[in-house]
Amino acid sequence: MAELSTKHILGIKYLKKKDIELIFETTERFKEVLNRPIKKVPSLRDVTIANLFFENSTRTRISFELAEKRLSADVVNFSAAASSVKKGETLLDTVNNILSMKVDMLVMRHPAPGAPIFLSRHIDANIINAGDGTHEHPTQALLDAFSMREQVGDLEGKKIAIFGDILHSRVAMSNIFCLNKLGAKVKVCGPPTLIPKHIQHLGVEVSHDLRNTLEWCDIANVLRIQLERQDIKYFPSIREYVLRFGINKKLLDSLNKEVVIMHPGPINRGVELSSDVADSDQSIILQQVENGLATRMAILYLLAGKRGS
Amino acid sequence: MNVVLIKKVQIISPEYNSSSSPLDVLIKNGIIEKIGQNINVDADTIFEEEGLSLSIGWTDIGVQVCDPGYEHREDLHTVSMAAAAGGFTTIACQPNTNPCIHSKSEVQYVQRNTGDAIVDILPIGAVSENCAGKDITEMYDMHKAGAIAFSDGDQPIQDSGLMMRALQYVKTINGIIINQPFNSSIAQNGQMNEGFMSTTLGMRGIPHIAEDLMVQRDIYLAEYTASRLHLSNVSTTEAVRLIRIAKQKGIKVTASVPIINLILTDSVLERFETNYKVSPPLRHQEDIDALLKGLSDGTIDFINSNHTPLDEEDKKKEFTYAKFGVIGLQTTFPLLNTYLKQFQLKEVINFLAYQPRKIFGIDIPKIVEGEIANLTLFNPKIEWTMQRENIQSKSKNTPFIGKRFKGKIKAVFNKKQSIFF
Repeated sequence: MAELSTKHILGIKYLKKKDIELIFETTERFKEVLNRPIKKVPSLRDVTIANLFFENSTRTRISFELAEKRLSADVVNFSAAASSVKKGETLLDTVNNILSMKVDMLVMRHPAPGAPIFLSRHIDANIINAGDGTHEHPTQALLDAFSMREQVGDLEGKKIAIFGDILHSRVAMSNIFCLNKLGAKVKVCGPPTLIPKHIQHLGVEVSHDLRNTLEWCDIANVLRIQLERQDIKYFPSIREYVLRFGINKKLLDSLNKEVVIMHPGPINRGVELSSDVADSDQSIILQQVENGLATRMAILYLLAGKRGS
Repeated sequence: MNVVLIKKVQIISPEYNSSSSPLDVLIKNGIIEKIGQNINVDADTIFEEEGLSLSIGWTDIGVQVCDPGYEHREDLHTVSMAAAAGGFTTIACQPNTNPCIHSKSEVQYVQRNTGDAIVDILPIGAVSENCAGKDITEMYDMHKAGAIAFSDGDQPIQDSGLMMRALQYVKTINGIIINQPFNSSIAQNGQMNEGFMSTTLGMRGIPHIAEDLMVQRDIYLAEYTASRLHLSNVSTTEAVRLIRIAKQKGIKVTASVPIINLILTDSVLERFETNYKVSPPLRHQEDIDALLKGLSDGTIDFINSNHTPLDEEDKKKEFTYAKFGVIGLQTTFPLLNTYLKQFQLKEVINFLAYQPRKIFGIDIPKIVEGEIANLTLFNPKIEWTMQRENIQSKSKNTPFIGKRFKGKIKAVFNKKQSIFF
């Protein structure tokens, strides 16, 4: 059977295209499982997984936990604000303590970019990055790309636009790396203060024009304005942001095409997306959530096969 | 009686022609007794191997000695040993101790505790109390006590008014203000150079403009005050260009660059390795090229180690939480000699020994008979691998453990003492 080229999922950058394709194939199989009357399979019966969340999360944590339970893994959860770790125990000590209790795999969300890569140098357990600061959020990118494929087929040559706060977004980074590997064309759109200066070196186009970019793209992946990550003001007010970059139904209806609308959640309704867009037929936001579960099951399943390697 | 005989050594010094044949040097009780051909005496120690070179003792400006306050990272004894092992017989220490070197007492603390050391440790006094960037210190008093220059060290001066007053104030003592050009409002908690790599890693970048702006500001202030400015730890292409123009205009500015910023680019940060997290950050190859050109044409005056000891707890952690800095005293010459082959040995010695002494008014020793030996004996041809146990510093925060180098320090002589390696 085909297997992943890596024992960790640290970021999309570290995956090969064939890894991504294998994850998609496996996701399709688990999506079928999730539609059965009995949604549980015994694949990870002998595996213990710790979900370490050093940063708040609701949907990603629940999605991972459900995925683990559907695969019959034993699950432990650990949540801590990053500050408590800063005050006392180091990340390495925390993790080593948990691993001493014979945990096989770690799912970790952490506010520091590269934290899972740092960890992978010091421990043996398989690590899945569930978001590391402004670096990567690989499972989100994989579920996004999987959802895009369901809508428009093979992504080679397809036009994908990412809107909003690119500067503070690990989702944007992982999306860009993933879509590049799959041959899609990517454009980012937002206010100049929220777009990294060197982003075009990653092989994406940059636009500050919402309407033009919507006209250009097949799929619009609209990101959440990460107010909690902004220690200084990058735009003057939510009101002005909405005026320039808010996507509403009227705007979408005035385009010459029907754009697929995606959002990684949670939505700031009335900010980056108006409610009538979020709830419209063009939006596949809830399909993304469903695919997220299957994608995470696929990743856990495939990594479990790499245990000890 | 302690007698050291160095056989067939190439003397790199203005008193000797570099093309002249190797000479023997006899050092008795720390005094250069004789220099000539075929000296044959009974000696306690004889150095005889191919490639031996001898120069005046090297000087490093801007070393973090961590003592007082951070003795778990380094102390005045261990920094002295590290400096000696790196070929330095004089170092000027940064004021960022705890308490800071911001009054005569701390200047005297350093002097009192290094009197017996083989290495001369010269204090750099703080410009502002606690290096906090607010109130100016008693620089006159510190100068009288022996501070060789003034700086807030690793806390670059942000307040333009403070910088201006400091430059004005030290004019009466012909003092020098050292500043690392870094605008913290633009850098905004940046963790590494801003560019492709920082973007890929999702890391907040320190743009080159954070340095360029401060270089320009400080040059303007040096011109306006007609005072002496030393820009330490420069790292960008534009900084070199601005300093070159300032020198052409006759503004009294000098500059130095850390060795690691001449060797490595930000591409080494791909795996979030914290031992490459330094300030100024590792930048691009074009910056390295500009810095090297600046050294060749005299825009940049010398190379420094930017020695910053940090304990394991400050480095073995998430990149964002790790502190900036690497130790550098023992790797400065090996890196220079291994990687920067475009510089002749004479130029290297100029960067490491003569230039810092000239700029900061430190006595320049002579290699002539009858003088007290202040010498570095080294062999640029020997290859060796740096091991953890070679590191004399208390802290081991360097990315170069296990790296193979060309060029090794054999001995240093100073204050009638000597250490052999």
